[in-house]
Amino acid sequence: MKNLIIATSLLALGTLGAVSPALVHEADCPYCKLKLVQNTNAKDNEVVVRFGNKKIEYRCIYCVFADQKKLTGDLIVYAPSEAAGKPVLVRRTGGNWTAPEGTVFLNAFRRHQECAGLSRTFSSKSAFDRYVAANNVANAKALTLKEMLAEVAKAN
Amino acid sequence: MFYKPGPYNWSIRNVPQFAADMYGTGVGHGIAYEALVTGQADKLEGPIYDSIVKVLKNPPRLPIDEGAILPTFKRRYGELEKVFDWAHTLHFQTIGVLAHRGWTDAQKEAEIERIWQFYSEQPYAITGLPLNMEVLDGYSYSGAFRTKYPKVNGLFWGYHWLQTANYDMLYRTPVETHGPQYQVVGERYRETELFNTEREFMPMTGELSPRFAKRFPEIANSFDNLHMLHDNVNDILATNELTEVQKKQQIRIAIWRVLATTHQGETAGEGEANSLHDHRYPFGMPGMGWMKGATESEMYMSGMGWMNMEECGHCSIRLPSGDEWGATVSANGWTMMVRCMLCARDMASETIGKAIIRAATEDPKQTLVLISDELGNWTSNLPEIVFLEVKADHPECNDWSKVFTSRRAFDAYIAENPDYKDAQPIALSEWQTRNEGTPETYRRINRPSPYQRNGEVGP
Repeated sequence: MKNLIIATSLLALGTLGAVSPALVHEADCPYCKLKLVQNTNAKDNEVVVRFGNKKIEYRCIYCVFADQKKLTGDLIVYAPSEAAGKPVLVRRTGGNWTAPEGTVFLNAFRRHQECAGLSRTFSSKSAFDRYVAANNVANAKALTLKEMLAEVAKAN
Repeated sequence: MFYKPGPYNWSIRNVPQFAADMYGTGVGHGIAYEALVTGQADKLEGPIYDSIVKVLKNPPRLPIDEGAILPTFKRRYGELEKVFDWAHTLHFQTIGVLAHRGWTDAQKEAEIERIWQFYSEQPYAITGLPLNMEVLDGYSYSGAFRTKYPKVNGLFWGYHWLQTANYDMLYRTPVETHGPQYQVVGERYRETELFNTEREFMPMTGELSPRFAKRFPEIANSFDNLHMLHDNVNDILATNELTEVQKKQQIRIAIWRVLATTHQGETAGEGEANSLHDHRYPFGMPGMGWMKGATESEMYMSGMGWMNMEECGHCSIRLPSGDEWGATVSANGWTMMVRCMLCARDMASETIGKAIIRAATEDPKQTLVLISDELGNWTSNLPEIVFLEVKADHPECNDWSKVFTSRRAFDAYIAENPDYKDAQPIALSEWQTRNEGTPETYRRINRPSPYQRNGEVGP
């Protein structure tokens, strides 16, 4: 009975809590199971994959490529770039991946805790260079889409 | 001890693949137990695992007498087999009623109450009270089986996933939807859940069939207590700490702990905390015992994370009750309760793979069952459904996001609710393409898994 009395009291509190100030959505990456890193005003982090009526969010571009067998049909990946609000659109059409000309990838993380910052997409090599310099990324190599896919395939 | 007579017995065969998979779980249990007591434990993760998987991929078309599969185990642990058999009878009779054609939901619910009474009156009945799962899984031998035999333990928890996930598939849903729903549920069972070795704790009925568990908490609790007894027995048989005589004693004690007679006169919601007689349950879910790390409002579910079972899984607002109970979403191996159709759709569209939505309509006698493919294209059991969706604040989302069985029902609602006078009915084909993203009210509970070891996360 005590349990039920407490339950009733907290039900009322729960109702008040239900309309408390909004909190930011934080989900887990379907691949690495770590929390998604939220976008900020200066930098996008969430990698969004759209296919059919589905919209799935990943922690980094590596996670998307590593998890691609689970995703059905043609995909559009909105990969955060060097500029907030201007993602690079990477597509899989009929099983073939394409990206806009000049697109390069960074894939320098060792543990998935670092993947959101060290597995990223850039619209150009110069943007890649600026990011690498600004973030002191050691041994960074600008990968083409083909090279990036090969690295992911090798690791899996 | 035999089935309560009724026209519904073995109606599980209305969904032949479901029936076969359920019969297969009995064979899988039996082969593993017989191996454990006949000196073949060292083969459990190898050839015996392979032989079980072979059976599960080619399951029997008729129920198998487990005595024929585990003769040694049955001779040694006859009383345990009685407890198992009687609880499995409860499983099959409850499923039989829910899958039976020609009865109303009210008739089915009344008969399930009678079946529970019939079951409970027998001496081998397991208690319907919620038990503290951390206590029951906290003995010196606990975890031995899942540590030594992770693949076979995965199979056991896979069986228990199927045996708990099926109830919301069947409960108050039209019989003609059971087959199509099982195409999704069965695929998940056969391709993923049987081979899942990452689950941190056994599947719980309230986790996978929350509507059924709320309506029939005693049955849900008895299934969970049964499955915990399975885990206890597995751990006792797997541990090196005990002699054969001690194992037999410990199995008898494990049986005693979950029997209804042991808890006679005790009450759900009461009892000494963190003891065998701890019958607390989480708010909003009387059909679930106290979980490891739980608080009165929050608990951790493997694969789903921390959750509050009184709240919508998508917008975190308190769930409605009564005839307008909202909806459930089953996807990716979990089932979550949500407040409205928008919450259901958007939650499913943000999850990889096929999904099932079961939802209240304006007619309490007609439950909507929507099934989606991998691309999020939905098919409906009700051909004339239309949706209302006039996005506003989520605390009222079950008012502005609804489904109706017909345009006429939609018009009647609009006439009663002039706030929505400008709303147009939305067809399924348009509704499924929408996505409003994450609600502002969504609240993530940021606590580590109580089962986490050494801070390990991710692959």
